[in-house]
Amino acid sequence: MGKNEYEIQKEKWEQDVQKATNRFPERKETFTTSSEKEVDRLYIPEQEDANYVDKLGFPGQYPYTRGIQPTMYRSRFWTMRQYAGFGSAKETNNRFRYLLDQGQTGLSVAFDLPTQIGYDSDDMMSEGEVGKVGVAIDTLKDMEDLFDSIPLDKVSTSMTINAPASVLLCMYIAVGEKQGVSKEKLTGTIQNDILKEYIARGTYIYPPKPSMRLITNIFAYCQQYVPKFNTISISGYHIREAGSTAVQELAFTLANGMAYVDAALANDLEIDKFAPRLAFFFNAHNNFFEEIAKFRAARRIWAKIMKEHYGAKSEKSWKLRFHTQTGGSTLTAQQPDNNIVRVTMQALAAVLGGTQSLHTNSRDEALALPTEESARIALRTQQIIAHESGVADTIDPLGGSYYIEQLTDEMEAEVEKYLEKIKDLGGAVQAVEDGYMQREIHQAAYEAQKRIEKQEDIVVGMNKFQLEEEVNPDLLRVNERLEMDQKESLKTIKESRNQAEVTTCLDRLRRAAQTEHENLMPYILDAVKVYASIGEICNILRDEFGEYTG
Amino acid sequence: MSKKIRVLVAKPGLDGHDRGALIIAQALRDHGMEVIYTGLRQSPAQIAQAAIQEDVDVVGLSSLSGAHMSLFPKVVDLLKEKNAGDIPVVGGGVIPAEDIPILEEKGVKKVFTPGTSTDVVASYIKQLVYGTELTEPPSKIAHIGIAVKSIENSLHFYHNVLGLKLLGMEEVPSEQVKVAFFGIGESSIELLEPLSDDSVIAKYIEKKGEGIHHIAFEVKELAERLKVYQEQQVPLIHETPKEGAHGSQIAFLHPKAANGVLFELCEHKKED
Repeated sequence: MGKNEYEIQKEKWEQDVQKATNRFPERKETFTTSSEKEVDRLYIPEQEDANYVDKLGFPGQYPYTRGIQPTMYRSRFWTMRQYAGFGSAKETNNRFRYLLDQGQTGLSVAFDLPTQIGYDSDDMMSEGEVGKVGVAIDTLKDMEDLFDSIPLDKVSTSMTINAPASVLLCMYIAVGEKQGVSKEKLTGTIQNDILKEYIARGTYIYPPKPSMRLITNIFAYCQQYVPKFNTISISGYHIREAGSTAVQELAFTLANGMAYVDAALANDLEIDKFAPRLAFFFNAHNNFFEEIAKFRAARRIWAKIMKEHYGAKSEKSWKLRFHTQTGGSTLTAQQPDNNIVRVTMQALAAVLGGTQSLHTNSRDEALALPTEESARIALRTQQIIAHESGVADTIDPLGGSYYIEQLTDEMEAEVEKYLEKIKDLGGAVQAVEDGYMQREIHQAAYEAQKRIEKQEDIVVGMNKFQLEEEVNPDLLRVNERLEMDQKESLKTIKESRNQAEVTTCLDRLRRAAQTEHENLMPYILDAVKVYASIGEICNILRDEFGEYTG
Repeated sequence: MSKKIRVLVAKPGLDGHDRGALIIAQALRDHGMEVIYTGLRQSPAQIAQAAIQEDVDVVGLSSLSGAHMSLFPKVVDLLKEKNAGDIPVVGGGVIPAEDIPILEEKGVKKVFTPGTSTDVVASYIKQLVYGTELTEPPSKIAHIGIAVKSIENSLHFYHNVLGLKLLGMEEVPSEQVKVAFFGIGESSIELLEPLSDDSVIAKYIEKKGEGIHHIAFEVKELAERLKVYQEQQVPLIHETPKEGAHGSQIAFLHPKAANGVLFELCEHKKED
């Protein structure tokens, strides 16, 4: 009798483990519990089970329910990637260099709101916002300061930037060139997920159609010239923060993902060329088991979509890789130290769900931007989970739990219902334009608020177990002088650059924008190199594309 | 009758987090207010302009980006410049406790911190708009209602013996009663006679005999006051005002509210 599917898959996994451990050995030769019992790499059903192969599979194998790598955290922990950025480029640069000295290899840049919406610091719209929630970038000069003495071939940089993602990516490429690092070597991620901006996060500029064009321009350009860069991070995080349920978070994110794939295919890109560079970004909220089930279901659904719906051939296209951040909106302003406990459980859910990287929130985020001490505790939380809890010593430790598997199946079924509905509405772009997802989320958010007010849902310290007197913790303050300084330095750049070159580049960009099949990336790159500002570039495109008004 | 409260909910600055603003907007609508939501990215000038054009009673600002210190007071100042300084401005979002007194000093009426229930926000706004009128105690005893079997037979005592002036007599078919009013100082005595056995007054007399039935207070803003009482869980017989005698608005509180005494609230049309 020949081998059954279960045995074939198991052998394939064992070979994959061999290959993987030859390249990167596991963290320890043997993993043991505190009672010195050996911990196996993977626990599987005692009896062979065809269902197992279909629904769970082995780690690193379709449909990836148990994780996308054959050894998961036994080889390498998830990447601990804390989002940071404040004030001026120079200040943030100091912070980055400190973090790199401490052994961190990945940077994650937070930009201020004017940068995220394509306004210069001296724009009237920017008043009061410069440098507040992230670093202010006006021209290439700021980007040069931000990465001063940081070799771009040695770090991977994640940039939370959407509507003007092409501008910031071009600035990053230009900084690399000045350092002598070619584009092919750059690694990192741009968020570049405009659909969720319309749905939940709000930093949109142009209407959906031209925005989708900019995104596919980036896909096409990077596939050719910046092949190691993740061109999009399709984000459910903000959808969840806006008040969606776990099912909605997953469903709307995957629907958006499909919209990007469709747009790329419509522009004649090859699926197995761009799909491996798609990344995802999810939230980790309070309901522990449901969150774990969500992550496991996400991998399984996406793998099926890529393989069966789109016919992708490469395994790399099937694998859903994701970053996780703990749920900011679950944190309370009351008794902020309690938030450390919430974050710990949320982070644990992300790890048990098999995340590739993780940001843990700081306890004071319901009050202000985190202080250095709060940010350190947040990072320590991840380190404690990684090094002390032992949860990373075996792969997918909850796999096979009746409860978890049932929840995972239910999550999948409900998400599929939503995907069907969105398909009927004409796809994610249409559903966003009609406000469908926005309404669904708002309804869920309002229901949740009512449950809290009626005390049907308990939030410890907020609607139960309150303290008479709240202690006010020390909070981070952004220097109010910064806005003036930033405006001043922008003025200096505008006076010292070659104005004729800037005008030429902006004119060329305008003409390219008017030509539908032109890829705008090379024009934007030329413009940033001659120190055209983000506001100038985005204003050209505002003229040509119009503005989205919600 | 009080008019509907109009609220402008606005997002100054660039942050796109409008979950809180949207929830507040819907909750205030559920509290019977008219809410205009500006959408994202409004400049202080746009907000002040909208507040005046929409003729709102209050402006609610939401900011989560840390820009509140420059943007909130600017809205207050612009309203003052446009002679609309009487429109109160309240706010919420991610706002550190120590910023609150500074914002209040600069004219922001009230700052709500995260975790505030929407009911608290709604009652605050009602208080703010109706001002002292809502909290003003009843101004006088409007009348004392006395249940009698026959007005005819009682006239002698009130009119001839006491010498009170009969102000009027009318039938209220909806309640199946006939009423007679005698003036006494700034108040009056109301005699209530049942017109049928189904009348509440008939049942009252059957159970307790003739005698004092209720005491009525004169109040302002009856409709809103009832809502506020309801939120304070005062037991009510009428949750909204009813048409009373002489075109007044009336409502009864449940006797459980006051040691078994039945109180009526009346709002008479303002004269002039």
